[in-house]
Amino acid sequence: MVEPLPKTSGVRRSTLARFVSGYGQEIVIFCAILILFALVSLINPRFLGANNLTTIFSGNAYIAVAAIGMSMIIITGHIDVSVGALIGVLATISGTLAVAGYPVWVAWLAPVLVGMCINAVVGVLVAYGRIPSIVVTLGMLSILRGGLVSVTGGAWINDLPPEFLLAQQRLLGVPAPVVAMIVLTALAALWMRYTATGRSIYAIGGNAEAARAAGINIERRTVLVFMIHGAFAGLATILFATQLKIIQSTVPPNLELTVITAAVIGGVSILGGTGTVVGATLAAILFSAIGSALIFINVSAYWLRAVIGLLILTTVLIDMARRTNETRSAKR
Amino acid sequence: MTVLTTLALTTSLVHAQTAWTGGDDLPNNPLACDATAATPAAMPYDGGVPTNPPDRKGKEITVVDVPKLIGIGYFDATSKGIAEAAKEIGTMKATTDGPTKANIDDQITLIDNYITSGVDGILFAANDPVAIAPVLKKALAAGINVVGYDANSEPDARQWFVNQAEFNGIAKSMIDSLAAETGPDASFAIVTSTFTTPNQARWISEMGAYAAKCHPGLKWLETVEAQEDNILSFNQANTLINKYGDDLKGILGMTSVATPAAADAVTQAGKCGSVAVVGLATPNAMKPYVEADCVKSVVLWNPVDLGYAAAYVIRAAADGTLQPGATSVAAGKLGNLSVINGSEILLGAPFVFTKDNIGDFNF
Repeated sequence: MVEPLPKTSGVRRSTLARFVSGYGQEIVIFCAILILFALVSLINPRFLGANNLTTIFSGNAYIAVAAIGMSMIIITGHIDVSVGALIGVLATISGTLAVAGYPVWVAWLAPVLVGMCINAVVGVLVAYGRIPSIVVTLGMLSILRGGLVSVTGGAWINDLPPEFLLAQQRLLGVPAPVVAMIVLTALAALWMRYTATGRSIYAIGGNAEAARAAGINIERRTVLVFMIHGAFAGLATILFATQLKIIQSTVPPNLELTVITAAVIGGVSILGGTGTVVGATLAAILFSAIGSALIFINVSAYWLRAVIGLLILTTVLIDMARRTNETRSAKR
Repeated sequence: MTVLTTLALTTSLVHAQTAWTGGDDLPNNPLACDATAATPAAMPYDGGVPTNPPDRKGKEITVVDVPKLIGIGYFDATSKGIAEAAKEIGTMKATTDGPTKANIDDQITLIDNYITSGVDGILFAANDPVAIAPVLKKALAAGINVVGYDANSEPDARQWFVNQAEFNGIAKSMIDSLAAETGPDASFAIVTSTFTTPNQARWISEMGAYAAKCHPGLKWLETVEAQEDNILSFNQANTLINKYGDDLKGILGMTSVATPAAADAVTQAGKCGSVAVVGLATPNAMKPYVEADCVKSVVLWNPVDLGYAAAYVIRAAADGTLQPGATSVAAGKLGNLSVINGSEILLGAPFVFTKDNIGDFNF
């Protein structure tokens, strides 16, 4: 079977060294989060208050969940720039069903199923139609965004029933978005690490022809990955749409970019083939923590964009350097 | 390396920001602390004039309405008002077509397309007063009637601007409502869209001036940005509550997105009654919070009336009944509206929605 995380260096290394090399980016982000928490709490201890930790960890949970699916897409060697618009459409569908009096489980299940169906279409066009994913998803972005405004006329959804507001619930004192984020990240990480199907997506993104030679049905796998991504977009939608009493038909501008950024900073190589969903989730938490930290230390929120921009460039540079090294050591 | 970058940036900037005033360096003009109405200074007409427009008096005209963006309740309401007025007027066909997000480039492209396709009038709410000016001047040069509402352009790029409320009027309503709810010595923070959004920046700047003049005990802690993003607004409001704890007595929401999100943050934090939320918002979005007694004052004008007035103004401009130098204009059921600041038409004093009246509105 295919080795998911190719370690091309032939030198024998200790378990710790192998762990650090396999999860380098995740460890770096984890440390960045710890250092950020330590520094800001020195300046203002309230940063570590239970309420603020709740705000930080649940605030971007929907981005983390969407980034799980996005990571899989990018690892497979594709990209999806329509996920923000998709979440907007799914949120509107979910909220409309809830307001229309359908049972809440229908309103929660609908975005997951519809997300899978829409992305199945995208996957088929990419895999069997041989159209580059950026082209298909750009088209889908326009269809979804334009269609949403045409259908809803831009109206917000008010009067959501209280039992619909899942993201406001707590499980053993932990906010539901945090529970969802941790459980979904863990499930996805285990699936990608320990199942043949999960591991095959690395093979497809790493070297499609080799993967095909190894007997992987690339087309069918690609459609599957897009459908899984659609399901995660649906799950992210539930967290997004059930946080407040109102659903805006316009989603946050550039949401798709935030999700892609989380995946890339989390260590998913934009060239495909490597990365984990754990990194993406940590990156989403880091964004949230930086946003909160800037307020706590009285720094303009404009710096958040600058900091994230720098993080992207740094990460991509590190990725490039790592690939060059791997190519060199492979040649040796 | 990532860590170092993060570290370097976060630590070196700790003292980089002092309190952001949101100001654009224009002079503030705080209103009187009591209810004395301001007397607008007479100013010569400073708007633009369409070049050789065809005689449109009494004739059927086609008007396109280009709001900042479509897809939010607020501009839904203005286009509803425009449609209502067009129906009343009878000789006016009005359609609304705006960008799906508040993007000036998209807005310019749209307007340019309508100039090419040929319309008699353009109503707009500018995403950027300066950037939109050239395309509006192009419309004037093509003989098209151009009237702004909600967010102005440079004056000479349009004929008239329907001003929903003067900045100092909004500032007075917001600060007076806040002081009435929190008492005179409370600390408050602001959640806005971005520091550079023209309307929000002017309101914040005027609020600072009015508070300093009429409620000197109020303490302005800080202003945070949340774009037009409801989850981010919610997170930012939560962070303010977490940062200041019991010191925070009030949150002012500067957009129709930020205010309900801030109210939800206060509700979910169990701070209803101890943290006042006062803000600009649409009534439908605020009804749950007002009815739950968590929010007492929602400040706004009636955006349906705003669109309605803009439609009457562009009809009057096309007919030639509203000429430079006029001091008022008839606007259907709204009666006569006054001309202020040379080429602006004032809708009236801001409206404060409370538990008693919010049920009467649906937008």
